[in-house]
Amino acid sequence: MKQRKFSYLVMVAVLFGLTMLMSACDLGGTASSATPNSGAAASNTPAGGAATSSTPATAAGAAIRVGLVTDVGKVDDKSFNQSAWEGVKGAADKNGYKANYIETADQKDYATNIQQFVSQKYDIIVTVGFLIADATNKAATANPGIQFIGVDQFQDPTKSPKNYTSLVFQEDQAGYLAGALAAYMSKTGHIGAVLGTDNVPPVYRYGEGYRQGALSVNSSIKVDTIYHEDNNAFNDPDWGSKTAGTLISNGADVIFGAGGKTGNGALIGLAQTAAQSGKTLYAIGVDTDQYLTVPEAQKYLLSSATKGLSDGTSTLVTMAANKQAPGGNFTGKVGLAPFHDLDSAVSQATKDKITKLTSDIASGAVKTGVAPVKPAK
Amino acid sequence: MQICGTDFWVTLINLLSNTLEFAAPLTLGALCGLFCERSGVVNIGIEGLMLTSAFFGFIVGSYSQNPWVGIIGAVISSVVLSGLHAVLSIRFKVDQIISGTVINILAVGLTGYLNRLFVDSGTLPAAVTLPKLGIPGLDQIPVLGALFVQPPITWLAVILVLVANYVMYFTRWGLRTRAVGENPGAADTVGINVYFMRYANVLIGGAIAGLAGAYFTLESTGTFETGMTHGSGFIALAALIFGKWTPLGLWGAALLFGLSQGLSITFQALQQSSDCQFGVSKDVLVMLPYILTILVLAGVVGRAVAPAADGQVYEKGR
Repeated sequence: MKQRKFSYLVMVAVLFGLTMLMSACDLGGTASSATPNSGAAASNTPAGGAATSSTPATAAGAAIRVGLVTDVGKVDDKSFNQSAWEGVKGAADKNGYKANYIETADQKDYATNIQQFVSQKYDIIVTVGFLIADATNKAATANPGIQFIGVDQFQDPTKSPKNYTSLVFQEDQAGYLAGALAAYMSKTGHIGAVLGTDNVPPVYRYGEGYRQGALSVNSSIKVDTIYHEDNNAFNDPDWGSKTAGTLISNGADVIFGAGGKTGNGALIGLAQTAAQSGKTLYAIGVDTDQYLTVPEAQKYLLSSATKGLSDGTSTLVTMAANKQAPGGNFTGKVGLAPFHDLDSAVSQATKDKITKLTSDIASGAVKTGVAPVKPAK
Repeated sequence: MQICGTDFWVTLINLLSNTLEFAAPLTLGALCGLFCERSGVVNIGIEGLMLTSAFFGFIVGSYSQNPWVGIIGAVISSVVLSGLHAVLSIRFKVDQIISGTVINILAVGLTGYLNRLFVDSGTLPAAVTLPKLGIPGLDQIPVLGALFVQPPITWLAVILVLVANYVMYFTRWGLRTRAVGENPGAADTVGINVYFMRYANVLIGGAIAGLAGAYFTLESTGTFETGMTHGSGFIALAALIFGKWTPLGLWGAALLFGLSQGLSITFQALQQSSDCQFGVSKDVLVMLPYILTILVLAGVVGRAVAPAADGQVYEKGR
């Protein structure tokens, strides 16, 4: 009996140990990449190394260090985190900075992860996403010597320190372009959008911009914008796929998917429905050129409403390294991704109109009329 | 007939079809709980079983490029993990809640870590998904036919509810399972092997939870995301309790939960035009089933009584 009790204790101890090890590994694998010298840029490509050695003035010890803290998710999420990381890496490879990242596993860890880079005295800290903005603002206030860049974080410049620059986008403009394109391409006069929660302002701007853009082309078009509820809004591909299916069965023939994995689910769901039913359906992706990131939907992916995330991040990191970061909100570029496989499906007339609309929006000649955040009822 | 600018029947059939699909993983998860708890083993690790099998279904399916083989991988992984729960709670007499918690935490870490390994390797083949299957004849009916074209695990969920109902109430196995769950001492004295019945039922439950996990990857978009089951295993437990530990009851509860998810899509689709507002927020619709569950748990809508020996360790000769 005594022996049984002992083996039971050992068993439980071993299991808990194993459990902790496993969950620690998940984080550990990512946290370890935060230690200097193991960074992806340092070991990245021979090209990176060549760039470093071609700038003789840059001594290894004096290299500027850039740390990136992701929003909940990973640097290969085929979305925000990945684009921001590519921007950081691009700037680092080009100019010989050292770049590292920490992947955030849970919202409660935002401040802790930023602090990891702060205590290692990084020169520039990039944080990704709307939700990490508060933690970034606090860290910037506490550490005036470090440059902070918030990707996709709208800030109130009167309440933020000078060493905190936000990269923002007018998603309503990108959505407007996507909506106009969808309206030109729709045969049924009915289009849809599957979105994350409208309580996250960029998502709301995408959705409403899409609606306004479509209406600007065809005032009688039916536009369905369906938002996920708050909980798990960006990680529910199953819901996204079913919602796309519902909209298609109601008659929509172009679907805009904007909401992380949920939106990707809509693109894949549309591709599955199109393949099974033989209907002519088009999907429009979001943030990055999703032709490259969602291979399952390639055949039906018309375009993507893109934000210049990598480009903007890279620009800001370089500016910050030269002590020229402007502070406040820095507006990045938006646009539409190439048509890829469906290039021949889009008429030249439509292409011309989209090109003109893109420049009109950039110049301010066309306004979307979308509120920056969802108006309270 | 038109409603808010869309065809009423198309909308209704689509809603029912979505309900069936949303309910499938909840139904299967709750059936897993049914087999475990009816034999006297509480299993709060359903969430972990589902997450693990979702991952292994995805990996096995991708590498074999065959979603059906993926299902087998999902089921095996879930059976192995529920075997761990069985050994801990039956052989080593660990508190079953703790053992279930271990499984849930282990699943998050294990799948997150392995997913990382496979994604990083960059050699992962394209994801595969299960085709939808129609019932010949019925699927040809205009409009209504769409309801009879569903993916295989959704069909399996319906079939397994009926099978479970038959097994539990009309077979010797079911009688013995329920006896072991209500009064293991009495069952033992008439010669039923309590340990064997508990092991077997936990493993059967594990296999069913494996199907629920496979739903998330193989039957949906084919891709795995960290933590993608997001609490479905616990909702399945709620359905089990709401359904008073009976197969048909839990199915009804799962359908209700599925309906509320389906309604959150349908209502938004209908409320697109300004002249068609119901004044009901989607968030309220999503919340409703849980309020009902609380009412059931509080005994307001008829008490739910668990099997008498549910969660109790059986020690021979006591």
